[in-house]
Amino acid sequence: MSKFNLINIDTSFESYQQLINLYHENKDRQFETIEISFQQWFAANLSSALGGVLDKLLENLNTIRFSYISPDIRAIMQKNDFLSHFGYQKVNDIYNTTIRYQKLKPSDGRFFHRYVLKELLERPELPAMSSALKKKIAESIYEIFINAQLHSESNFIYMCGQFFPAKHTIEFTITDTGIGFRNRVNSRFERDLSSVQAIKWAMIDGHSTKQGISGGIGLAILTEFVSINKGKIQIISDDGFYQLDTDGVQTRLFSGSFPGTIINMEFKTDDTTSYLLTSETESDEPF
Amino acid sequence: MQEIIISVFNIVGSSFCVDADDGQKVYNLIKKALYEGKKIKLSFQNVEILTSAFLNTAIGQLYRDFSEGKIKGSLSVENMLPEDKALLKRVTATAKLYYQDPERMQTSINDILGEE
Repeated sequence: MSKFNLINIDTSFESYQQLINLYHENKDRQFETIEISFQQWFAANLSSALGGVLDKLLENLNTIRFSYISPDIRAIMQKNDFLSHFGYQKVNDIYNTTIRYQKLKPSDGRFFHRYVLKELLERPELPAMSSALKKKIAESIYEIFINAQLHSESNFIYMCGQFFPAKHTIEFTITDTGIGFRNRVNSRFERDLSSVQAIKWAMIDGHSTKQGISGGIGLAILTEFVSINKGKIQIISDDGFYQLDTDGVQTRLFSGSFPGTIINMEFKTDDTTSYLLTSETESDEPF
Repeated sequence: MQEIIISVFNIVGSSFCVDADDGQKVYNLIKKALYEGKKIKLSFQNVEILTSAFLNTAIGQLYRDFSEGKIKGSLSVENMLPEDKALLKRVTATAKLYYQDPERMQTSINDILGEE
């Protein structure tokens, strides 16, 4: 039996490193029991990343047990449905600040649409936002889901979010356990980019690994929107960490690799920018 | 010549036009009509959300098969929100660049490697 403590998991580089450590310390185990304790804090939206890691460990027929979950963490992870995947009872979210944990096959596009509608767009308790802002947030999330669907070669795509009404923020995380940016770019172009170089390359408008068809707009759209919205993007892929926020771009390397890609998005809900284009700025000729 | 109206909403079967595979269905119809020399009006009535991935397959890849002049002269859109039209314009601009210079992606890798 192995034991692992997840301590104060938020969206910091160090927290992602702990999730990578959880994977690396246990990835070679088979038919064993892995006990995990949750201490202090666990950011609900990172249930998405944890779900991906735990599924990788379950592939080797290990048994996952949560030996300790602090009452606060337990409450929120029951409300967002994560713990119901691991033998716990579902609990209603009376404050309605959770965005449910969901794991979907890449081909489950229609379920994803329903999920976004139910969990995000049609939620009456969603902070007051212009419909254009809501649409920009939904589009960003779709672009990232579709990227994972097209490029990750993952068996599942994991998603989860959280509203923070006092901070006027929505955090939403999409995780896959596929090949990652580095392998994808390097195998397409037969090169040897580092994980950070591969992420930086993919963030540039029009850069795509697709063959015979243009693309590479989705991440650029997300970058532009998040910059105006004063939000944040974090990409954790392989051993690369990339973060874009109001302080600019920061990149770092992890010790060990995440088995896939995590994309964490933070959106500001009190953004008063008008995202509606007027007919004056609209070109009549899109071709 | 009579214009053929293609309802994107009906082809996809949803107001959420986000999947690349759904874009492919739209592309197949447009391609067939363009090969037959027809004029097409693409209707986005009742479409609520579009992604670049959908538009890349639905429209972007037409620039591989047809000249810009042919597409401009044969294809038009209606009932498209200004912000969606802006996204479409971006998709077509990216497609034109891509098919003009297919080696561009390879050279862009050198640029990233040269940065560090």
